Amino acid sequence: MAQITTSTRTLYRRPKLVPTLRKIALYILVAGVSALTIFPIYWMLVSTFQPSKFTLHYPPPLFPQEITFNQFAELFANHPIALWIRNSFLIATMSMLLCTSLTVLGAYALSSLRWKGRSMFGLFLLVTQMLPEILIVIPLYVIYRRLNVLDNLPALSVVDAAFALPVCIWILKGVFDTVPTEVLDAAVVDGCTEIGVLWRIVLPVSAPGLVAVAVVSFFSAWNEFLFAVIMLSSAKFQPASVGLTTLKATGFTPVEQYMAAGLIFSILPVLFYLIMQRYIVTGLTAGAVKG
Amino acid sequence: MSSLADASGTQDRVSPVKPLPRTRRRPHILPYALALPIVLYEIALIVYPIAQGIYGSFQQIELASNSPPTWVGLANYQRMFSDPDFWQVMKTTLIFTVLVIIVAIGTGLMTALLFNRDFRFRSVARAMLMLPWAFPEVPVVMIFVWILSPQFGVVNILARMIPGVTENPQWLQIPILAMGWVVLISSWKAFPFYSLVILAALQSVPQEIYEAAKVDGATPLQLFWHITIPSIRTTLELLVVLASIFSFKQFTIIYLMTGGGPSGATETIVMRIFNTAFRFYDYSYATAFGVAGFIVSLVITFFFISLQSRRAEERA
Repeated sequence: MAQITTSTRTLYRRPKLVPTLRKIALYILVAGVSALTIFPIYWMLVSTFQPSKFTLHYPPPLFPQEITFNQFAELFANHPIALWIRNSFLIATMSMLLCTSLTVLGAYALSSLRWKGRSMFGLFLLVTQMLPEILIVIPLYVIYRRLNVLDNLPALSVVDAAFALPVCIWILKGVFDTVPTEVLDAAVVDGCTEIGVLWRIVLPVSAPGLVAVAVVSFFSAWNEFLFAVIMLSSAKFQPASVGLTTLKATGFTPVEQYMAAGLIFSILPVLFYLIMQRYIVTGLTAGAVKG
Repeated sequence: MSSLADASGTQDRVSPVKPLPRTRRRPHILPYALALPIVLYEIALIVYPIAQGIYGSFQQIELASNSPPTWVGLANYQRMFSDPDFWQVMKTTLIFTVLVIIVAIGTGLMTALLFNRDFRFRSVARAMLMLPWAFPEVPVVMIFVWILSPQFGVVNILARMIPGVTENPQWLQIPILAMGWVVLISSWKAFPFYSLVILAALQSVPQEIYEAAKVDGATPLQLFWHITIPSIRTTLELLVVLASIFSFKQFTIIYLMTGGGPSGATETIVMRIFNTAFRFYDYSYATAFGVAGFIVSLVITFFFISLQSRRAEERA
């Protein structure tokens, strides 16, 4: 009995100090890692909203000394950023519509239908998903040149859709997989066709998955740089991803406008990617890992 | 796990009959009709251009003069293999890829272990950690170009703390520093994704195993090596392969940070293909490099597929 009391006492006493220290260490570590991770983004915000008389100074102050909002108006006045965003928006919308409609077909074929070519089809998607874009850009440039579709927004969006398609199919397949088979069976028994099952049952309950696919296909075209810089050469078709890089080249763009442009470009993709991250991670690992 | 569920009888209650496999319905022409447009689409935009590229690597193409391409056989390949730059580029690619894998997955693993613990504001901290991943590459480069500016860059404050450093370094002009930064920036952008995937794997490890091991007197390090690592091993392997594909493909960050410089220090094969084709307009030679890159990426993809099927078997 006495033995038991001593051991309970030591068990009770020791944890008091150690876990507190551990807890503090944990919080310090978490705070340090988080600060280090988001510092570049913090610095982007500081450099956007602080007048450049503070930023263009060494060493720069680590906390903003003054806040200004003039940079946005100046940015739109000095650079064709509205045109860039319009172009990006057009490319991304076309790519999204094309990619999302093809994705629905592919995901349904992969998820709930049994057929001989199914695993071959999955393998085919996987291989196309893994190929570096640079391998396609040279021959495609030659082909597009021959077809006379360089400097053509729809022609570019078609390429962007091709690269987003495999990831999108994996995302939507994962969502389609969660629809209970019994429900699909019951519908078929009740006289619904397979296409009817897709249209009336699978699609309506997979709305979040469809949103995720739309987000991925829209913003992968929005963010895309390599094909855009090669396929579009005239200024009036320049999308924002390419336009932003010319700001640096001109060299006369004040820092707060330069950073404001980056911020405007990033805000939508960051927001939507964070909201949809669970689905997107599943798609990027080709469904191998559930996010 | 499944035997546990069987023993408790929950499985029997939920579905008395063993559920039929998902893919139970009659074979039909429909799936082929659904898959066909996708296969054709990807063939037109990805497979056909690659085939054209392979074909073009045996030719001399002069785009500027509009003269028809001439057949040159293996000349481009002979040139490539006798080009000392080829092996240099391969080496740079390997160094870059391996460093990004180590830094990005290492950071991902450490942050996942950290964020798997219980603390207040955990969900807020996790969401913040995902920010670099959600950022598009072009603005990421804009931020870092600014941070690394030798004149006003904020990172110089840190560098100046190192004894002996009295001037702001030319971060992207010194080969080893340029490589270091390109690796760091690529890893910064990529690690949240790995962290999230590892975190998901960690959370599927049953807590009872840890409790049992602790009762048996296992130290935290033993818990890590003998329980944590083996349970997330397939996930880690899969991520290593995935990371090697992602960093092998990396173009935008390197192109906009260094363009492959200084003097080729960050010129991976992807950068080399781009520079050969669009800076020196040597399309045919670039396609030969492209074929080399194609073979490398096929090999990595093969590893991914075999790992993935092994994982699927383990699950079944």
